[in-house]
Parts: sequence; C-alpha cells; structure tokens
Amino acid sequence: MTIAASAGLLLTACAAPDSEAPIAEAQSWSEIEQQAQGQTVSLWMYGGDEQGNAYVDDVLTPAAAEEGVTLRRVPVESTTDAVTRILSERQAGVTDGEVDLVWVNGANFGTGKQAGAWLCGWTQNLPNMELTDPEDPLLLDDFGTPVDNCESPWHKAQFTLVYNAAAIPDPPTTFDGVLDWARANPGRFTYPAPPDFTGSVFLREALINASGGVDEVPARFDQDSYDRLTPALFDRLNELAPSLWREGTTYPQSSSELDALYAGGQVDMTMTYGPATLPKLVADGTFPPETRVLTLDEGTVGNASFLAIPSTSGKSAAAQVVANLALSPEQQLAKATPDVWGQFTVLDLDQLTPESRAQFEALPSSTVLPSYEELSANAHPELSADWVSPLDEGWRRSVLAGQ
Amino acid sequence: MNRVPPFAGRAVLVLWFLLPLIPVVLWAISNRWSFPGSVPQEWGFDGVRSALDAGGADAFMRSTLLALAVAAIATPLGALAARALVNGNVRCPAVVAGVLFAPVALPPFAVALGLDVLVLRSRIPSTVAVIALLTVAAIPYTTYLMRVAFGAYDIGYEEEARTLGASNAMVLRRIRIPLLAPALAGAALLAFLVAWSDYVITLLIGGGRLVTVPILVASFAAGTGNDSVVAALSVAAVVPPLLLVLMLARLRRRSAR
Repeated sequence: MTIAASAGLLLTACAAPDSEAPIAEAQSWSEIEQQAQGQTVSLWMYGGDEQGNAYVDDVLTPAAAEEGVTLRRVPVESTTDAVTRILSERQAGVTDGEVDLVWVNGANFGTGKQAGAWLCGWTQNLPNMELTDPEDPLLLDDFGTPVDNCESPWHKAQFTLVYNAAAIPDPPTTFDGVLDWARANPGRFTYPAPPDFTGSVFLREALINASGGVDEVPARFDQDSYDRLTPALFDRLNELAPSLWREGTTYPQSSSELDALYAGGQVDMTMTYGPATLPKLVADGTFPPETRVLTLDEGTVGNASFLAIPSTSGKSAAAQVVANLALSPEQQLAKATPDVWGQFTVLDLDQLTPESRAQFEALPSSTVLPSYEELSANAHPELSADWVSPLDEGWRRSVLAGQ
Repeated sequence: MNRVPPFAGRAVLVLWFLLPLIPVVLWAISNRWSFPGSVPQEWGFDGVRSALDAGGADAFMRSTLLALAVAAIATPLGALAARALVNGNVRCPAVVAGVLFAPVALPPFAVALGLDVLVLRSRIPSTVAVIALLTVAAIPYTTYLMRVAFGAYDIGYEEEARTLGASNAMVLRRIRIPLLAPALAGAALLAFLVAWSDYVITLLIGGGRLVTVPILVASFAAGTGNDSVVAALSVAAVVPPLLLVLMLARLRRRSAR
C-alpha cells in the first residue's frame, strides 16, 4: 500500500518541469558580491585541455579566492555530461545542485536553453560586460541561439585549418584550393566524421563554400534551403572521397584521431576550432615544428564560448562573481598569453584603458598561430544549431553510406 | 588438482597480459614520443607531473576508498544471496537469480540516467548513492562467484564441528569463513574492480563530488597531446588491482596447501 502510494507520488512528480528559463533575481552588484562571500562554485568544464585546466587552477581560482569565492573545477569528458546532470537535477526539482558554472557553447547551450536549464537575465549586470562590444554578433548569438543574457562570454575561437609547411611548401589560400590540393595529393587529407564537433564544422564550412558564400545559406534552418543546397555539397564530398586518406572508405572518428594522423605524418593537414592549443602542441613535439595555420581568403566560421549558470545552482551569486572576474582585463589578458592558454579575448579593445589596451597589443606573437585579427579576417558567424543534426545525418546517409 | 600449466603456456599468458602494458608504461615516462619513433625521443616525468597537478593523488585515494567500500558491502551481500540460492531457501530461485543478475545486462549509462532523478529527489547524499548503485552493479559478480563456491562447499566440516559442540559463531569464524576465504577474496576483487573502473555512475550520480581516476583519465583522453598524462594515470590505475590479484594468488596457494 505504502509502496504503491509512494510510487504514484514519484510518478506524478515526474511530470515535465517548467521549460521556461528562470530569470535571475534583480539585485545590485554589491548585494551579489556580499552574498557570494564564502560560497564554493563548481565549474564543470571539458578536461582534455591541459592549458585550460592549468589556467583555471593557477590563475582564475586564486583570483576568485581573493574575492571570497572558492572555485572548484570538475573535469568532464564532454560538456554534455554537465547538461545531463543539470537536466536531471531540474527534473528532480533540486535548487542547490552540484553544478554552478559550465564552460559551454553551441548545441549544449541551445538544448539547455530550450529545457530551461540556464539562469537568464544576469549577464547585463556584470560590471565587466561594459568592456565588451554590445553589437558583437559573436556575443549575441551562440550557434544561432540568442544568448539573451543567459551566458557570459569567455573567449573567442576560430575554425582553423592547419598544415605542415614541410610537406606543403605552397599552401592553398581558398577552400576550393584546399579541395584541389587534396585531389592532387591523394591520401594526404581527410576530416573527422560528423557528428564529431570539428568534422561537423568542416561540413558547414563546405556547405557555405559549395553554396557560393556565407550569404547564400540562411542562418536559420529551413527544410527548403536544406533540400536546395545540400545535393551540391554531398556530390562534392562524394567526388572528393576517393582522394582522401584510405580512399575515404573510413574517416577519423574524432578530431583527436585526425590530430594523431597529422602528428604521425599520415596526413598533411588537420583542423581545429581551438587554435589556442597549437603552439603548445608544436612546443611539446606532438605536432611537427613546421606546423602553420592556413588562413582562407574567404574566411572561416568563428564563435565565442561562454560561462553559463545552471538554473539549479544555489550559488548563482558566487557564480556571477566568477563570471565577472573571468571577463576582467587582467584575467582576459592572462588567458590570452600564449604560454598560459592563448585564447582570444572577448573584450572590445577600444573600451579598455590605454594601458591595458597596450598590454593586449604587446602580447607575444607565435610563428604557429597568427593574431586574432589575421585569423578572423572575413570570419562569419555560425549557422543555427538546427542545421547541425540534419547536415550530420545527411552526410552519414549520402557520403559515408555512399561508399 | 592444482596442476601447474606447462612453462610455454604460462609464458604466453604472461606475455598476453604484459605486452599491451609496455607502450603504456613507456608513454608514462616519456616527454616526447612522436611517430614514427619506435622508442620515445625524450624521457621524463612530464606526464606524471601533469597527473599530480590535476589532482591525481587525491583521485587515487578517492577511487581506492570508493572501491573498498563497494567491495566491503557487495561481498557479504553476494555471499548471503548465493547461500540462500544454493540452499534452496528461496522461492522461484530462477526469477530471483534473474533479478540479481539483471544489472550485468543493463548498460550503466541507462541505469545512471534512469535512477539519478530518483536519487536526487530522495535527497540521498551523492556519495552514498554512488556506493549504493555501484554495489548493485557489483552484486551479480559476487553472487555468481559465491554460488559456485557454496556449490563446492562440503557441509560435512560444519556438521563435524557442531557434533563436537561448536557454537554458530565459532562455526562461522573457524570453519566457514576460512574454507570460503579464497572465494570471498575473489568476489571482493571483482566488486573492487567494478567500482574502480566506473565513469558514468560516479560522475552523473556523484554530481562531480567524486573525481576519481577514471574521470580524470576520460577527461584527459578526450584531448590531443595528453598521451603521457593518460598513460601515467592508467599505470597508476593498474597497480591496485594488480596488487590485489597477486595477494589473491598467494591466499589461494596458502589455502591449497
């Protein structure tokens, strides 16, 4: 009897939670700082980037401690693990969850936002938000999902092709040129199989190229555009396949696998959405010393990554203090230093004091990694996240199964 | 009974287990080893240092305590379940055995996803919940091992002792546990391994409170250029189970004498 009753209680309680994103309480910044004192913030982030881990542990965490907040890094294999946990907590009605801050962007942000996983309406109050450009499209939209003050910017990234200058003395400068080069050098090029994150970006870049430029592909997904634009894309990739590594009969499963092929000299190009890691990979000998970035005349897609506060966090005040701290010129500068992490800043240099602006401009340049200006020339924003699954699925059916 | 396999067979077995470990050990003590070098270009302990910086020592302690706790609970529970099944004290033993063994068939991810809302709603502390769920995952193994042991167990010794006036407690302490010790140790080892190697339940149910060795390994392995850290952590992760296996082998040998 009791068992049946409690089972019934559990079942009714399992009804879908409100998917409306909760809005942060309106509070003054000094109140938030006050509340944050003594709180511990668990920051869930992808743990495969050693420099990123070291930056958070050795630079950001001590600075947070000075503001009275203990920062605890939880390393995960993929950000999806954090979203899974938050959604369970939300379903269970937890208000003091185990996740207080997440390094997130793209589809994870989009799905989380749809399910009301993120706290919204707080980033506009961060004092350091004034140092960003309010019109910057990369900070307003995250893969086509409006940011709506539900996540605060952390750094920028650029999709980048990488090549071995020892093997390719005269590199192509356009996307078409890259494909021509791949055909002329059979077996020396490949890309990770979507839905791998990087393989998926490559696919979108190829779609934009095959469609005749970024203006030809609507940022928001619609089936008509998909049906109109993708046949040319898949034809092209099918035609390219025999010239790929192992004649395109198989593809690397992940960008790390492609990186391993490149590191081992089995292919001459790799690609990444996180070019910040390149100097270290060259310095520690993982990548050949002649590794260089291939900039394309027509530009590549860029994005920003963000820090989001789950709606289930009971420590949103302290999480906001950390997010604000992460946006400070000191932290952004430290993070942009190649030896620390080398991530591009989200701040608008024109809004900074002349001294800090000069410090950003004096950042050492690397032979491997060009400056953000050079790398992001003609950059275009990401297509909506709604494009991602249909394209990945279409590739699987048309290209992978077409062998 | 205790026949030693011929030398060649034993050598092949040792090779079979050791060969895959050699590159991992080499990776753990090399700073640079890029293709196509057949040996590392630069030896060193960068990987070990990174693993320690990332909290490897704490993770190791946490993993050990978690696995010991699960082994300590799952072994006696498995033994009790096995005894009940063997002695025929259970109605519909096939159904009960099926339920007991179900966790083996279910992928841990499904278990974790299905149960974490329930666990969260019940407000069980996350560490307790992790131990409980991993215990459930370990019980099929301990039950199976103990069922075999009870099947081969000669009740005659106990009867003999009782006719000589031994109490229940004495029978348990002096006869049953010593006779079953090798099986109990084997069951405990399996339970230890289940908890020692889990990623999904520890992370999703534990809510990131328990950063164990598998969580560190998985997060590092998801990135490029971390081979030496992953190798250092993996070598460390092989040591405790290996020590336990060796201890178990000694125990077996002693009890066989």
